[in-house]
Amino acid sequence: MVTRFYGTLKQWQNLLAGLAVLLFLAVLFLSFLPSYDVGYNTLQAPSRSHWLGTNDIGQDVLTGILTALPNTVLVAVLASLMALFLAIVMAANAAIAKGWVAALILRLVDILHIIPSILVLLLFAAWIQPGFLGMILLIGLTSWHDDVRVLRALILRERTRENVAFARQMGAGWGYCLWRHILPSVWPAITGLFVQHIRQSTMKVAGLGFLGLTDPRLVTWGSMMQDALDYLHMSAALWLLLPPGLCLCLFLLLALALGRRLERYSLAEERDLS
Amino acid sequence: MAMTFSILKKSFLGVGLLACAFGVAQEVEASERLVMAERKGDRGMLAPYVHHKNGPGYIFTSYLFDTLIGQDDAGKPIPALASSWSVSKDGLTYTLALNEAVTWHDGTAFTAEDVAFTIEYMQKHPYSFISIANIASYEVMSPHKIQVTLKKRDAGMMTSKLVSLPILAKHIYETIETPARFLETKAAIGTGPYKLVRYEKAQGRYLLERNEAYYGGRPKYEQLAIFKMAPQAALKAMTSGQVDLYNRLPVEDIDAAQKAGLKVFRYVSHHPSRLIFNHRGLFKDKAMRQALAFAIDRQALVDIVYRGKAEIADTGFLQKGTAWYSDMTLPSYAADPAKAADMLTQQGWRKGDDGQWGKAGKTIALRFITSKSFKKMATVLSQQLTAFGFAVELRILEKAAVNAALKKEDFDLSLQTSSTLGDPDSYFHRVFSKSPKSDDYQGDGKMKEMLKKQQQATSAAERRAIVKEFQALYAEELPSYMLINPVWVVAHTDRVQPVFFDSGIAFGIPMAIPKNILMP
Repeated sequence: MVTRFYGTLKQWQNLLAGLAVLLFLAVLFLSFLPSYDVGYNTLQAPSRSHWLGTNDIGQDVLTGILTALPNTVLVAVLASLMALFLAIVMAANAAIAKGWVAALILRLVDILHIIPSILVLLLFAAWIQPGFLGMILLIGLTSWHDDVRVLRALILRERTRENVAFARQMGAGWGYCLWRHILPSVWPAITGLFVQHIRQSTMKVAGLGFLGLTDPRLVTWGSMMQDALDYLHMSAALWLLLPPGLCLCLFLLLALALGRRLERYSLAEERDLS
Repeated sequence: MAMTFSILKKSFLGVGLLACAFGVAQEVEASERLVMAERKGDRGMLAPYVHHKNGPGYIFTSYLFDTLIGQDDAGKPIPALASSWSVSKDGLTYTLALNEAVTWHDGTAFTAEDVAFTIEYMQKHPYSFISIANIASYEVMSPHKIQVTLKKRDAGMMTSKLVSLPILAKHIYETIETPARFLETKAAIGTGPYKLVRYEKAQGRYLLERNEAYYGGRPKYEQLAIFKMAPQAALKAMTSGQVDLYNRLPVEDIDAAQKAGLKVFRYVSHHPSRLIFNHRGLFKDKAMRQALAFAIDRQALVDIVYRGKAEIADTGFLQKGTAWYSDMTLPSYAADPAKAADMLTQQGWRKGDDGQWGKAGKTIALRFITSKSFKKMATVLSQQLTAFGFAVELRILEKAAVNAALKKEDFDLSLQTSSTLGDPDSYFHRVFSKSPKSDDYQGDGKMKEMLKKQQQATSAAERRAIVKEFQALYAEELPSYMLINPVWVVAHTDRVQPVFFDSGIAFGIPMAIPKNILMP
């Protein structure tokens, strides 16, 4: 039990440490990145001075890809984290609190399930043209409800276990029980949901950028692909469309692989423990 | 997914055109048919109240509806529905003798009653492009003679109003209460060289046929088809002879068109992009507008955004090479950041510790709002302004949202484009009106006075002299800053020859497809 708890805590720590490193790298990376300036060399093919060529207003594609990296990846990761956090809070409340609170949360989730979240997302995006933070908030707020039912079922199962009952008997509060006993045991599910969220959020960020519904100053891989569309019939499409498209595919594959690995790792650990 | 959709859409367009062209081919020989295409489709039903409020909408409608006075191949006024006319000494009374050979598309004879009806009807239901509020009265003197009296002299009556005003059929329109909702094929019955056969709104397709009874001679083509097509698909269709003319080919496709053996008709459009200021905000003062102009490098805009295929616009509203332009040296506001900084400092602006311009220690951000069609130019411009030290808040919105922001004056800068051709009368609308495409400029009222004065002018020379003053004052006061005068392109085959008027079509539409090209 103890090892299991510390093992899980370590996972949380790992996750947070990983995020901190990611953020730090992003900041470092942005400060070294040349600015995404327009220039006189428009629609240049890849060359020694522009490794991935330039676009129709002379911006360097490689710089664009790198500038768009945090705007696509980091936004997706942070939005997923936010959605998951909201989902856990709501699911825990729905599972532990009885009566009208639970009913209210579940009905709210039902309602949100009925309304297609992508429409809400498009509507708000068209209205406010979100930037970096806006996008995180918007995607986070429109996708949390997907996980509430799954998590609630898991938490309901876990709260009937002996360890929780004993802890309650000893006078532990629900918050303590949740943090120490319940969440650690549903960790594999949380990991899986998190990675699934990242994939979906990445597609949403790219999609919004592609549809031109984000702040025009925010470069994303999606918006780069959109800009490339005018040159679909020219050879320029090769260096305008392919790099952001490939980056997007690569990241999604990476997220998929990571998710599988985490899941396997968690399952293996669980097997070891049992 | 949207990308695949776009590719699909493009290929569908190609297939759709082929199918449609075959459909048409069954009806007439290809040699008797002219096929025109353009990038955007659906210009609305081709009748005065229901065509879309833009140049192509008007031009396509003009193939069906003739005006009292027409334009020759140089754009100069020539007899059309009116075979001759005279103006009284005081410039208030116009006597028009109408062409007796004219009939409507349905065979009904055209008479002065139709003209009288049009005047009355358009005073009740104003037509968006031409106002005839200045007409005080009219008198039908005989079935083919009408006299029109104005409230006050209008030097642009002939070259702006009578050249542009489509004449409606009394027997069709007299029972119509809301012409904006009159969409039947009957609505398109006019006196022009072509008759409407079919209009498919969803596909933006039109099929027109020759008006055999046209009073101005036999129109050149038996059928005229107008399609919507992507430029690449159009170039392919043109090489295989399915399309004869493509209006407004993107400049980057010129090489491809020439390589395909097509003819390319290239002209400076005189439809410049210009920087619009909020005259009730930061840019209330002339000096501020001039300072901003000096901070902008227009040559860089030409080189980057248009890849050299455009001209730097003239700053005095009127563009070089157009009918009303007077040759003179005007301030060009060549990029001079030092001078711009000087002028800003004189206006009480200071650069803060962060290197950004502001007033009283506070950075002031310029709210730069524009629509998607200006995205490239806005990106380059805002980078120039940022490099100069302005904090720029760029927002690229849908057209409707931009118009709403302009109306609420919730902006500092915006980009717009409109024609500078046409009779000086049109400047009222483009400089002083509240329309989103206008400068919405009042200033000290001097410029507006000038325009009113030119309306009262008694000779062309007097008018020209006033317009020249207007041009100089515009360049100095900068109601808006004219940036780029883009080149427009028509790709065509040997079967048709585009024509460009230096005064534009009718009230100043800068397109090379007037109805003249459809006549022998």
